[in-house]
Amino acid sequence: MFRLNLKIALRNLWKNKTSSFINVIGLAIGLAACLMLLLYVTYEWNFDKQDKNSEHLYTVMTNIPGDDGKVAKTFEGSTTALGPLLKAEIPEIKHLARMNYLKQALIAVGDNGFKKLGKFAEPEILKLFNYQYINGNASTAMQNPKSVILTESTAKVLFGSTQVLNRTVRYQDKEDLTVSAVIKDLPDNTSATLKFDFLMPWAFYEMVDNSAKDLNWGNFSFVTMVSLDPKADLTKVNEKIEKVVKAHLEQANQPYFLYPFSKLHLYGKFENGVSVGGDIEQIYLFVGLAFGILMIACINFMNMATAKSEKRAKEVGIKKTIGANRVSLIMQFLTESMVLTFISVIVAIALLEIFLPTFNNLLNIRLSIRYFSASGWMWILGIVCLTGLIAGSYPAFYLSAFNPIQTLKRRIKSGGIFAINLRQVLVVGQFCFAIVLIISTMVIYRQIQFIKNKPVGFDVNALIEIPQEGELKTKFEVIKSQLLKSGAVTSMFQSSVGLSHRGQNFMDIRWDGMVKPQNTQLFNQLSTTYDFIKTNGIKLIEGRDFSEKFASDTAAVMVSASAIKAFGYENPIGKSVTVFGDKFNIIGVFDDYVWDSPYKSNNPMVVFFDENRTGTVTMRLNEANPIAQNIATITQITKQLNPAYPTEISFLNSIYLEKYNSEKTLGLLSNIFGGLAIFVSCLGLYGLVAYSAEQRTKEFGVRKVLGASLFNLMQLLSLSFVKMIIVSIVIAAPLSYYLMDEWLTKFEYHTEITWWIIPVAGFGTLLMALVTVSFQAYKSANANPVDALKYE
Amino acid sequence: MIKIENLEKVYKTEEVETTALNGINLHVKEGEFVSIMGPSGCGKSTLLNVMGLLDKPERGSYKFIDTELLTLNDRERSNFRKRNMGFVFQNFNLIDELTVFENIELPLIYNKIPAGERKKLVNEIIERMNIVNRSGHFPQQLSGGQQQRVAVARALVTKPKLVLADEPTGNLDSSHGNEVMELLCELNETGTTIVMVTHSSHDASFSNRIINLKDGHVISEKINKSRSEELI
Repeated sequence: MFRLNLKIALRNLWKNKTSSFINVIGLAIGLAACLMLLLYVTYEWNFDKQDKNSEHLYTVMTNIPGDDGKVAKTFEGSTTALGPLLKAEIPEIKHLARMNYLKQALIAVGDNGFKKLGKFAEPEILKLFNYQYINGNASTAMQNPKSVILTESTAKVLFGSTQVLNRTVRYQDKEDLTVSAVIKDLPDNTSATLKFDFLMPWAFYEMVDNSAKDLNWGNFSFVTMVSLDPKADLTKVNEKIEKVVKAHLEQANQPYFLYPFSKLHLYGKFENGVSVGGDIEQIYLFVGLAFGILMIACINFMNMATAKSEKRAKEVGIKKTIGANRVSLIMQFLTESMVLTFISVIVAIALLEIFLPTFNNLLNIRLSIRYFSASGWMWILGIVCLTGLIAGSYPAFYLSAFNPIQTLKRRIKSGGIFAINLRQVLVVGQFCFAIVLIISTMVIYRQIQFIKNKPVGFDVNALIEIPQEGELKTKFEVIKSQLLKSGAVTSMFQSSVGLSHRGQNFMDIRWDGMVKPQNTQLFNQLSTTYDFIKTNGIKLIEGRDFSEKFASDTAAVMVSASAIKAFGYENPIGKSVTVFGDKFNIIGVFDDYVWDSPYKSNNPMVVFFDENRTGTVTMRLNEANPIAQNIATITQITKQLNPAYPTEISFLNSIYLEKYNSEKTLGLLSNIFGGLAIFVSCLGLYGLVAYSAEQRTKEFGVRKVLGASLFNLMQLLSLSFVKMIIVSIVIAAPLSYYLMDEWLTKFEYHTEITWWIIPVAGFGTLLMALVTVSFQAYKSANANPVDALKYE
Repeated sequence: MIKIENLEKVYKTEEVETTALNGINLHVKEGEFVSIMGPSGCGKSTLLNVMGLLDKPERGSYKFIDTELLTLNDRERSNFRKRNMGFVFQNFNLIDELTVFENIELPLIYNKIPAGERKKLVNEIIERMNIVNRSGHFPQQLSGGQQQRVAVARALVTKPKLVLADEPTGNLDSSHGNEVMELLCELNETGTTIVMVTHSSHDASFSNRIINLKDGHVISEKINKSRSEELI
């Protein structure tokens, strides 16, 4: 029976080439889009879940208290003092490792030096994570303080081989470290806090950085990770942590808590100290998008199958007469849809292979189909079966229910009232989805444009920055004078962080006339020396930049306009603030500029004068020279004075462009998949019109003989389809308005949905549908009426 | 073999009620060849559909070798039909996607006959119907007469006790029509009971008995002496 069903299915597909083509292409596009998005979703979903221990791993989160006993900010960061305390007092903790955030650092073998992501961690990190050792092992890898664990690709870059145990690498051009192990590269979907290229012992960190050695409760620049006993109750452990911390630190106003590490990537948004989702929302969106497009393709299949019911009805009637029961007929139609889905999935995989590299480039990730993974194939098989069932079930139940006498006497009306209505509902559903996607794309695009056009507060063009490392720290003044002399730059400054940065927040600040016993607002800080305002061009509202003429500037600060608002100072110049117990005079007030997220107002900022807090050098290029020439000069001079380090120049405008990345991805995806949704919907519409035209060939012939014009006939055929599109627009417009309005409220700074977006999306869709319908309508209306009448 | 008593069938639409069969009584003996004639709309096709269990009457009784068929549910009707009845239609009703061989094989598949036996049975009937060289062809590649031979072959392959034919020559020219009628006669001679609906008195002359219907009533019955003698 199955063989026979398969035979009928294949012959039917071959016989109805147009509809088979529409179905296969539509389903293949739907499946390819669905698989592509699901690959992406799986990639995101498996973030930090690759390690077999991952479900017992937790990271320490810190709550920063705000006004009214609420939590102002929650972040993954903790102090050096916390780790040892937790280890001593909380028995449920099996392993604990303190570590720093990842940092680019120079690692070299001879003259062969590279900037790679380095990390310091306590040796128990090797018990928290099951790294796969190519050389060396967990018990010896961190014994020697001056040792380093390399990832496979780092070892290959440095040595050209992974057999490098006990070889020496030079760290930051200062210390020699012995390679104690080589491990397999960490998966791409590992969090940025953990995805290192080389790993060094904490003991070495204490040698090179005093802040690591010092057990303090005020510096949150570290990460503490733990693994809990599988039987431990997280809530109880967190309660214990709060008690233990309070017992040791009277003024502990930053409660710490453990949070599942593998959840942080997708559920990383906290409000008032409680997780309220995060990127998981995008994942839901993409899953919806994936199945939405697949559904559109399935609807094409259903519509084509039920539209063709008249043709199939005879077959159903005969089979029922000679003994087929309903189940065997349902099986036959399901076999047909399964065969079609199977062919489509082959085409889909081919499409996926063709377009995956482009998709990867757009999203800057590395997705691939794992042909040798059984679970991957199970997924694909599952989707094929599901698609086949969804697409095939309605036609199967609909067609198999036909009454044999009516079908054999050709009394079946094409579909019947119910079927026509359902078909219309499905088409309307398809176009609703497509229109919502078009409108969303337009709104997202406008939001990105709005934020891009919003001034960041200074001219980012012609500004570059380089990391301040090696000799750049000690010989900054020499390099500055040489660069200025060369004419490549007009002005430059050093600072603790770049103009665009995250973190660097603090709360320990007091001002004259402060009412509250303690400040509860987060402030941002940056330390610099001379020419800060001169170089970056941020608007100075009052006062002046730091200047060599005033020796007292070491105890001076410049503050942003919003900081002045927080202080409530009327004439701020000359007034003072106390930060970390030291008093500073305000010498300048500059306009607020965007240093963090461009979508919300940034924290007020305090700029200190401190020669020792180095980090980044920012320069304004001389616009009289070609950029390439400036860059060449800068590279030459820095290389000369700082030979151990490669010169890494970043343009401020590209750094600022990266701030729009997440919304750009969203815009891009809804653009691509919105386009596909429209295309597949139109493909289905084309199929339906083609079939409707075929059915009405005789009617058209008669009408033409009686004097109907080409336009009359086109109108006749197009009208019912155009009506459906109009209904879709009427439903989709308010729906998308509501959805996008909700989306926009997520941003403090956002555009408004302008009135013309909806008509543009509506008319655009209508036009595309009209072109699709008219093409077919013209073809059939223009046919020779004699042929049409002979047909019967 | 068949005892039909007081059969009534009414078609209802929103506006009208049409009585298609109005108290039909009919007996068919085993091995008989009965023709049902009458003007359009007299109820002859309805009667055939009821006899073939494709349609349900409102009232009456239909016994097939002492089994009452009108009380059966859908599944039982379908099972009874596929084991005991074969159908021949005016417009052949072959499945376009299947070859001649596969079309004939189909009822055997539904009767769950093993593949080896199916092949044997189909080959036998193909030979008997003289369409051996057409077995790999699709219906569209055959003439009307050949298509109807295939349809007859399909009706006979399960060796049914009763063959129901609805205007089997209606779409054929006279020579092909005669061929089909002769085929049915041959069949009848081997013991198969046949009930045929026809407009043509020429076709009816091949049967043992002719029943005339009008407005859902049996108005006359005529024994075809030349054929019925053979039966006796």
